[in-house]
Amino acid sequence: MMINRLRLPLVVVAALVVQLSVLSGLRISGVHPELMLALAVSVGLVAGPARGATAGFFIGLVTDLFLVTPFGLSALTFTLVGFGSGLLQASVLRPSWWLPPVITLAASAAGVLLYAVIGATLGQRQMLHDGLAAIVAVVALANAVLAPIVMRVVGWAFPEGEASYGVPSSSYLQPGAGR
Amino acid sequence: MAVTRRRARPRFTLLVLLLASATIITLSYRGQLDGVINGARHGAGNALSPIQSAVSAALRPVGSFFEGAANYGSLQAQNAKLAQENARLRAQGLQVPAAERQLHSLQALQRLPYAEGIPSVTAEVVAQSSSNFAETVDIGKGSSSGVGAGMPVVSAGGLVGSVVSTSDHRATILLLTDPKSEVGVNFGQPPTRGVASGQGANQPLQVSFVNPSFKVRKGEVVPTSGLQSSKFPPNVPVGRVRSAHLAPSALQWDITLAPLADLSNLQYVRVLEWAPKP
Repeated sequence: MMINRLRLPLVVVAALVVQLSVLSGLRISGVHPELMLALAVSVGLVAGPARGATAGFFIGLVTDLFLVTPFGLSALTFTLVGFGSGLLQASVLRPSWWLPPVITLAASAAGVLLYAVIGATLGQRQMLHDGLAAIVAVVALANAVLAPIVMRVVGWAFPEGEASYGVPSSSYLQPGAGR
Repeated sequence: MAVTRRRARPRFTLLVLLLASATIITLSYRGQLDGVINGARHGAGNALSPIQSAVSAALRPVGSFFEGAANYGSLQAQNAKLAQENARLRAQGLQVPAAERQLHSLQALQRLPYAEGIPSVTAEVVAQSSSNFAETVDIGKGSSSGVGAGMPVVSAGGLVGSVVSTSDHRATILLLTDPKSEVGVNFGQPPTRGVASGQGANQPLQVSFVNPSFKVRKGEVVPTSGLQSSKFPPNVPVGRVRSAHLAPSALQWDITLAPLADLSNLQYVRVLEWAPKP
């Protein structure tokens, strides 16, 4: 049980390393994927809104340590995103394999927009610039592509899996599971 | 159990966490958490930098593969241009091997015509920006080599930006093109002053506050003004005037500057151990 609790922090650190040393250099029209955001979404999907929000908060705090944007901004955004994706997942009646990528797409787009809007309200006006649409689109698509892998890893971090079907081990990866 | 209770009240959890984040943002905005945050950043950077270096060294080929795939179109164009350039250089008998070129760029960095007499640290750029909302790069030297927050950074071309945070062996540099970056600049002789601010990646700098009675020439090289308490030393080249317009009855020139340093392709930079005079 104790070891299981260490799984999520381990996943967060691993994701941070991957983001900083690989994904930050992988740019599509100048924008890179945001793995930490995808991670917060996945925790919401796998473990429900409450744990999604809690994990999102801490993932955001850790992410903020490596950014020059206002400290706490990622924590606030990821909390909302983790909670929101948990709620979305809970409101869906039937599971299917395509649901995690689609929710990740929507939640990542919403996350980036929120991040920029909250940043702008805090006086960082430059965050709402012309390139914002490109950032939203690239991050949403790239995170949706990463979603199946991230879901598997997060499923490993929550072996007891709260949500009835969010756990990737069996149901959602099988085509036709939703029928 | 606490876990069960927490599950039963997800909205309460959300509210508590939102209040916590809002408090953190407010306190850090007012500078009351600076000590804690900088300490945590320093510690986190130190803990992660060995793993980061090892992983990026091991995975560099993977990254370049995807980067290559993503930039295929521009690479093709670049390739054609380079092939042309190569043919031209061959004709001139000027084939310089890569290592020698690297040496040249380092030597050029050692013999800067500006910022003379200011002690400095030469460092390699090791990572690009970790945020989609900020123009930064990471360098492979940190506070253990004398790099400190606020220090100006230059390359062989000219001003690059300034250091915003450090750990023992790494530092983050805010580039001139970041919208938060502002540099005081001088035009002509006798100098007229302006402020050049960043407009985002690959965008020229925008200059404000230049007096309309002054004549701005296109192509002019513009250096830092280095006024008292400025963040940068005087006479470091910043950019070349790309466009200059003066609308009738305008109160200031509308000027854009192309940065002289190749900011999207930095390899080595020099951190000047310089602090503004109080």
